[in-house]
This record gives sequence, C-alpha cells and structure tokens, in this order.
Amino acid sequence: MISVQNLGMQLRAGSHLVTILDGITFEVPEKQVVAIVGPSGSGKSTLLGLMAGLDKPTAGTIQLNGFDITALTETQLAHFRREYIGYIFQSFHLIPTLTALENVALPLDLSGEPSAANRAEELLAAVGLQDRQHHYPVQLSGGEQQRVAVARAFACRPRILLADEPTGNLDSGTGQIVIDLLLKLNQDHGSTLVLVTHDSNLAERAGRMITMRDGRLVSDGEIPR
Amino acid sequence: MKNVAVAIKLAWRETRGSWRQFLFFFVCIAIGVGAVVGVGLFAANVEQVILGDARGLLGGDLEIRLSRLLSESGHSVLKSLRNRNIALTHVSELVAMASTEGNSEAKNPQPGSTQLVELKVVGEGYPLYGRVEVQPPKALSSHLTLPQSRCERSPCFGAVVQKSFLISLDVDLGSHIKIGQARFVITGVLLKEPDRVASAFSLGPRVIISRQALVATELVKPGSRIRERYLLRVPASMSLGPLKGELRGRLAKEGVRVSSYRDAQPRIRRFLDQLSTYLGLIGLTALFVGGIGVACTVQGFIKQKLTTIAILKTLGAGAGLIVGMYLLQSLLMGAIGSLVGAGLGVSLQIVLPVLLQGLLPLPLTPQLFLHPLLKGVALGIGTTALFTLWPLLTIRTIPPALVFRRDVEQAPLGHPPMSLFRRLKTDLSRLLRDSRRVGTGLVMGGGLAGLAMWQARSITLGLLFMAAFLTALILLWVAAMLLLHFLTKVSRPRSFVVRQAIGNVQHPGNFTAGMAVSIGVGVMVIVAIALIKTSLLLAIGERIPEDAPAFFFIDIQPDQKVDFERVVQEETRSPTYTLTPVIRSRLASLNGQPIDPEEHKGKRNGWYFTREYVLTALPDLPKDNTIVKGHWWTEGPKGGQALQEEASTPILVSVEVEAARNLGLDIGSTLEFDIQGATLAAKVESTRQVDWSSFSTNFFMILSPGSFQGAPFTYIATANVDPEEEVPLQRALVKVLPNVTAIKVGDILENVARLLRQLSWAIQGIALLCIAGGAVVMTTALSTTRYRRLYEASILKALGGTRRIIVKAFALEFAMVGTLAGVIGVGLASALSWAILYFFLDLPWAFQPGVLGWGLVLTVLLAITVGFLSTFRILGEPPLAVLRQE
Repeated sequence: MISVQNLGMQLRAGSHLVTILDGITFEVPEKQVVAIVGPSGSGKSTLLGLMAGLDKPTAGTIQLNGFDITALTETQLAHFRREYIGYIFQSFHLIPTLTALENVALPLDLSGEPSAANRAEELLAAVGLQDRQHHYPVQLSGGEQQRVAVARAFACRPRILLADEPTGNLDSGTGQIVIDLLLKLNQDHGSTLVLVTHDSNLAERAGRMITMRDGRLVSDGEIPR
Repeated sequence: MKNVAVAIKLAWRETRGSWRQFLFFFVCIAIGVGAVVGVGLFAANVEQVILGDARGLLGGDLEIRLSRLLSESGHSVLKSLRNRNIALTHVSELVAMASTEGNSEAKNPQPGSTQLVELKVVGEGYPLYGRVEVQPPKALSSHLTLPQSRCERSPCFGAVVQKSFLISLDVDLGSHIKIGQARFVITGVLLKEPDRVASAFSLGPRVIISRQALVATELVKPGSRIRERYLLRVPASMSLGPLKGELRGRLAKEGVRVSSYRDAQPRIRRFLDQLSTYLGLIGLTALFVGGIGVACTVQGFIKQKLTTIAILKTLGAGAGLIVGMYLLQSLLMGAIGSLVGAGLGVSLQIVLPVLLQGLLPLPLTPQLFLHPLLKGVALGIGTTALFTLWPLLTIRTIPPALVFRRDVEQAPLGHPPMSLFRRLKTDLSRLLRDSRRVGTGLVMGGGLAGLAMWQARSITLGLLFMAAFLTALILLWVAAMLLLHFLTKVSRPRSFVVRQAIGNVQHPGNFTAGMAVSIGVGVMVIVAIALIKTSLLLAIGERIPEDAPAFFFIDIQPDQKVDFERVVQEETRSPTYTLTPVIRSRLASLNGQPIDPEEHKGKRNGWYFTREYVLTALPDLPKDNTIVKGHWWTEGPKGGQALQEEASTPILVSVEVEAARNLGLDIGSTLEFDIQGATLAAKVESTRQVDWSSFSTNFFMILSPGSFQGAPFTYIATANVDPEEEVPLQRALVKVLPNVTAIKVGDILENVARLLRQLSWAIQGIALLCIAGGAVVMTTALSTTRYRRLYEASILKALGGTRRIIVKAFALEFAMVGTLAGVIGVGLASALSWAILYFFLDLPWAFQPGVLGWGLVLTVLLAITVGFLSTFRILGEPPLAVLRQE
C-alpha cells in the first residue's frame, strides 16, 4: 500500500525557487499496476524518485506499507529500499565495472544473501540472458541492458516496483519485450508496480492511470480492460 | 600568428568556464614551486649573510693562521706591518679543561666539576671588525682584566663564557673557575662573537680570556695543540692580493695559512652549498611529483572535453590549434600556480631556519631576493609545459565523429584479454611507431633534465637526479602495473565491497598507477632519509667496539707521563690505557721536491699534501692495521734487529695506503716533515691498511721507534674505565695535570648523533612537501573520477546500498592505493638507501623493520585520509538528481 499525501518539491535554481511538485495526493493499493503519464517536465520522474526515497520532498509525506519514508534516516532508507523496493531507470544504470550477473546479484550482495549468485542466475535466465551472464554492460545492447536492470529490480523480491520510463531509451520492438517481461515478472511476484511512461502502449496495459501536468495531479482513473 | 591569436582567444574562453577544475592544478604546481623557492631563498640568504659580513666572520681583512707558536722572526715580520698602517690583533684558540672551585660568590657549585671548553685568547684590538656582545654590556677588555682586590689568594682574571658553560657547571656570574694553573672570575655571558662560525660540531662552550691570563694558565707547552690567528685590518688603499702573497713568502718557514675575507669560511660555505643543492633537488622532486598531478588533471580534463574538441574539429579547427589552445590554458594555470608557489616559498623562510637551527652558522634575517623567485616561477611554468604535452597528444586522435557518440567514458575493457608481457610489448611497439609520441617523450625527458641541471647547477648532478627520478618512476609504474595485472588474475571475490574496490582500482580512468607513483616518490624520499639516518646512528652506536676507550687525553707532556700513569692507576680499579707519543707536522717535501701548499689548494687530493700530519713512533704494528706492501720494522728480512744495528739508518715511516696512493709514495720514497720549523726526513718502509672506525688512535704516518729523540713531542692517551670512574678520574687529572685535556668519546658521539638527527629533520621537512605534492596528485586524480564515483554511489544507494557500504568500498580502494604506493615507495627507499650507504658512506645496509613498517602504515593512512577528504562530499549527495541527469 502506497500513500502519498500532499507531496511538494521545490528546488533552488539560482536565486529563485522552482516548484517541481505541488500538493500531490494519491494512494495505491497492494498489487495494483499504476501508470503515471504526463508531458516532459511535469514532475513524474521526480515523484517516482521521491517514492523510492532517492531524495527528500520539501513538503508532505509518503507512506509505503505503513512506514513514513520521509521520516527515515539515510541508512534506514537504504535498508528499506533494499527490502521493499525495486527500481528500473530509463537509462538502465548498470554499474559498468560489474558483469551482468554481478549487477543482478548486487542488491542481494548488499543484503548479505548467501546464495546471491544462484538467484541472479535464475533471474538472468528468466529475462532470457543466461548466455550473457559474464558480459559487461558495454558489451550488451540497450534492450539487453534493460533486461538486466529488470532482473536486478526483482532480485530481492520487492513488494513495490518502481519503473521510470523503462522503455524510454529502447526501440519499440525491444521496448515491447521489456514490457512483457516486466509485467510477467510483476505478476509472478505479486508486487505493486508504479511506472512512469510516455509510452501509451505501456500505459494502457496498467490498471490505473495518473496524469500529471506542471507538478500537479490532473487526473486519476481506472483504465477499463 | 593568426592561429596563436585564435588559440589565445579560445584558451581564455575555455578557462573562463572551467577554472574551478584547475584548482588542483594550481596546488600541484604551487607546492613544488614553494619548495624550490623556499630552498632557493634560504640559500640566497645564507650566501648573503656569509658574504655580507665576511670581514666580521674572518675577524679581519686578512688572517694568518698557524698551528704552533710564531717564531721570533715571524713576530718581527708582523711588527713591521704596523709601520704600514696595518692594524693587527692576535687570537689564540685551544681546547682546555675548566673546573669549578668551592669559593663561589653566587652559587655553591660542587668543587672539582670539570668541563671541556673551547678557549679563546684575545689580545689588544680584538675584534677588528664586528662587535663582541657580552651581558652585562661592557667592553670586552674590562671583562677580562680585574682589579687585584677581587682575588683573595692568587692573582685572577676575568673570563667571559657562553651560557651553556654556566648551565653545565652549575655556576653563575661571579663564580670562580680554574683553567690550567690560573683562576678566573666569570664576569660576563657571551652573546655574540663575530668571528666564530657557530660550528654545529664543537667540543665545548666558548670561554674568552686575556693573553696575560693564558700565560698564567701555563697551558701552552711545547707541542700543545693550539691555533694561532693573527688578524689584520688593512687600509682601504692597499690591495689585499699582493699583501697576501708577500706575507706567504715572508712567513713561508712558519707553516702559516694566509687567507683574505674573500675566501673566508670555505668549509661552512661548501657545507651549506651542498645542503641547499640537495634540498633544492628534493624541492624539484616535489615539483615533478606535482607535474604528474598536472598530467592527470589535463588527461581527465581532456576526457571531459571530448565533445568540445570533437565539435571544434567539425568546425574546422586543426589539432595543432586545439593543442595550442589547451597548452596555453595550462601555461596560464601553471603561471598562476607558480606565483602562488612563490608566495608559499617566501613563507617557508619562517620554517626553514627553525628546522636548521644549530646547523646555521649565524642568525638569518630572512630577506627577499628576486632571482630565486623568478627561477622558481620559471621552473614551475617549465614543469607545467613539459608535463602537459603528453596528455595533450591524445587530442590528435579524437575523431570529429565523436559528436555523434557520447558514450565514451564507459569502456572499461579497452584491452582484449592477452598476457601482460604481450600487452606491454604491443603497447611499447605502438608507442615507438608513433613518432610524435616518441618526439614528445624526448622533448619531455630532455626538458626535465634541463630543469634538473639548472636547479642542481651541475650537468652531472642534474643528469644523475634525472636518471634516479626516471628509474624510480619507471620502477614504480611497472610495479603498479604488475600489481594491477595480478589483481585481474585473482578470481572475482565474493564480497561486494572487495569487488567494488578492486574494480575501482583497476578502472582505466582511475589513475591508480599515477596516484601510487606520486605518493610513492615522496614516501621513497622520506623513508630513504630515515633509513640512512637510522643506519648512521646504528653505525655510530654499533661500531664502537666493546673495548673502545672512554677517554682521549691530549697534550700530556713527556715529564707528565709518570704522573698520568699514577693518577690513572689510583683512580681506576683495572686500568687499561695506552700512551702514544705524537708530534704534529706538515709535509715539507716528497722525494726531494718541496711542497707548495698553494699548488694543491682546492684540488681533489690536495688535502693530503696540505693537511697537518700527527706523527707517532711505535715499535709494534697497532692492531686494526695490516701491512699492504713492504715490511714492518720488527718483521722483514733483517727482523727486529734492523733498527738497533744500524743506528745511522734514516728514520723509517709506514704510510697509510690511501695517503701513499694520493701522495704518490712507494716503498723507498723519501719525505720530509716540518716539525715546528725543524725538518725530519724519513724513508717509506711500508704501506698500511687502517680500520679508521676502530676508535683506537690511528695514524697516517708511523715513524720507526726512537725517531722523536729531541723533538717536542707530547703523549696522547686513551683510557678504558668503568662509567662510575669517569668523573673522579677526570677531576683527579685536572687537579694534577691541569694542562691535559680529556675528551669523552661518548660526548663526541652524542654530538655527531645530534647533528645527524637534525640534518635528517631538515631534509625530511622539505621532503614532506613531496608527500604533500603526492597527496594533492591523489586528490586531483580522484577529482577527475568524481562524477563516475557519484554515479556509482547513486546507483548503489538506489539499490539499497548504505553509506557505510560505499565508505567501506572507498576505504578499501584507497587503502589499496596506499599499500601499493607504500610497498613500492618503501621498497625503492630500501634500494636507494642501500645504494647511498654502500657507494658513498661505505656502510652496510641494515634491515629496519620498524622504519619500513611505519613508512608503510603511515602511507596507507595518508592515502585513506586524502581519499576521504577528496570524496566525502560524494557520500552525502541524494541519488535522484544524479540518476536523472544521466
């Protein structure tokens, strides 16, 4: 269960404040798939980042599974993310010095999981990259990199999955494969999925769509199947 | 010309936008220039003081010096000078024993405490130049002569003493002391003595007395060790050169040295000259280390500017123009850094004299000189230019098409897997095929060598320095590469922290080797100095044989021999002592050729011709001596009878082998000694090897027994006594034989050790700047990887990594860099110190785990500290902003 209350974010740009987010309030029940859409600069990626605790909002609260993450310390947040959240970025953000397998195993290593390598292998197999385990990110195509990133996001069996334009840097065919994978894994794991996207195909496959403009929430509704 | 103008314009625009990135560039150059300028200014100040007051330092325009009393004819020569308006004063210097008396007026010191002093006897007119400062302030002569009424029993005189004398004997102004047979009242504390270059090595505190008092002490006996100085003030109208020549001629028989203030103090000057040359080279090391930092900055900068460069190329700018632009920019930064460094050097003037306190002959009042400042700035700009060239060469190979591909930085696997050897070979052959790289390398090497020669003021020394620096650099580099290569071979560790640290260390853009080399060079210099110092101290302590004497006694008159033996036997339980007859002499002729001291002055082996030889006559070959050639008197074909049988045989001499070689002597050569005006001829019978470190009395020249008949010889003695017997023996001897001087071996060694420690502190102080340079290079290198670190830290955080994990990975990485630098630096320091000890000091190298261990641990700690200071800001950045901007 995600509960965002009156969330605001202002940044200082030179001498004046820029409002990125303003009075955002919504809730996401468990296991729901929500798409956040809106034009560039509407604040949707910032919103997602705040939901993962990657930065602190300047106003409002975010509760994930009953925890107010805006009140947690940096270390508590890190532990929280490790345990509850999987995150997928538009530009993959794999660590360049680690192999595909090591990248997937990374969150497991961080939580001290003893069988990290085995689990990572399984996950890579699940995204169809069992043959690419020992390749470095630069040796992988964009689609492959994003599949590694998806595998990594599911590594710790997160209850909440946040995906920031997961297909934004991919061509439509590759994007389709990644979306299929993402949704399948999400279903298998039974996690809540919030994704930010420009991609109307992707948005339509969610159960609910939140639309943003200029840092405000302008519409929020279920998508009829 | 047009190109240059464009380059300047572009350079200015580039700098305007990115000067912040060059901050470390400034600091790298500034520290090095600071070291160079600091040492340069120091040397100029010392030179100024020594030259500026050369007359005062010598005590006159001319000095006539001899080590025996002047003869009657000599005196008349000097007397005749007065007619020519030349002022003359007579100063005598000798080492003597002072002892306390019970009837002090101020305190109540232990009667009979003794102290070795450097006695100075001054006559009328002293000093001719400069001023003697005494507390209480009164004319020196009135301190030295007292009204008769002040002495109760015997006539006594005034003595002016150094403060350390008061402390060591626990006496005060007004106390009575005894020197020789005369009694003195301490009337003043000596604050400043114009013609004493406070030698770092002195046997005891200065005591000044009058000439009448010297007579009363009865210290001067035939053969006594004394230095007689006649100081002359010459009218300005008279030129010194001819007068100097005239006096040398007229006093030729006296064995005098005549020197003018212009060639004064050559020894102290040479010492300070060498000291500042070596300190200057260590400063240059700091500057070159900074140069490595410059190269790292420029390389990192170019990497960031790839797109800019590609855009410029697509717009039609040639590689030459772009290289010129960045070179100009670097030079501008180098110039600013050098100016800041010059300022740093000026402020070093406060620190250096403190470090060198006691080694300096005179108090320095720091002054600014333009030359060292300009030289430092020029060296700084030169170093910048040379170290910038190499990384700038990459600009040529950047394709304009790069504009379309941005993703260049993330290429950790530039090399296909191949063996280290093959990789080195491929790299090397690729390098050698690139004529521009080879050319640039030669220009760099040649330029740096030129800078080194300029700084060392010697081609040989400059080339040696460059060779050593390059060797160290190459060894450090190869070792760093080998270690990095070894790391790729180890299987990927399980622990994330270890894996991340190793990954970072190996990352091609990480400058690991550069960081390790820069810090390693500084570590090498400091640890090498520490190793040499410790080895020397060990040598002093260890090489003293168990049976080394506790005392040397000098100036025992032949008729005092019996008394001496009696006192030693009375005062010690198991007396072991030796008495050796000695006579002081100079060489008068070799194989019938008279020796002209002028001819040998300043030559490499000239010392052997002009020095004073202490002769002895011994029946037996001393221990620690071995005959190299010829026979000792008691051996050989005629055996022990040789001497007795042929009373008419000329006196025989056994010559130390090095002296024989330098003097060109062989068996059968003849030489003549000048013994206080009398000539003694001898024939070389043998040459000997001497172990000079044995601490027994050793001689260059040993005459056959009986040679001293009728000559004014004295005895020197060594005595081995238990430590608790030392003081009573010294007191008893001073009482019975007041003219005999006792020199404690322990005190001398203590003095040497103190000198050594201080010298090494001073050198290490400057060497610290090399370490500082290395630390800045590390900061620089880390700053070029700042973005990558920030990025990776953000990803880690997004995946649930805590700050602690990132800190651990960083710490391990920095510790690896430090270990690399430390291991290599300490290893090279061992090699360097071994080479210096073995080749220059002829001492064995001892494994010193303590020094090496500390060197290593401190390097690792330094690397971790510097690493964190350079990266801690990354840790606090919230990850969202970083990951979104990617």
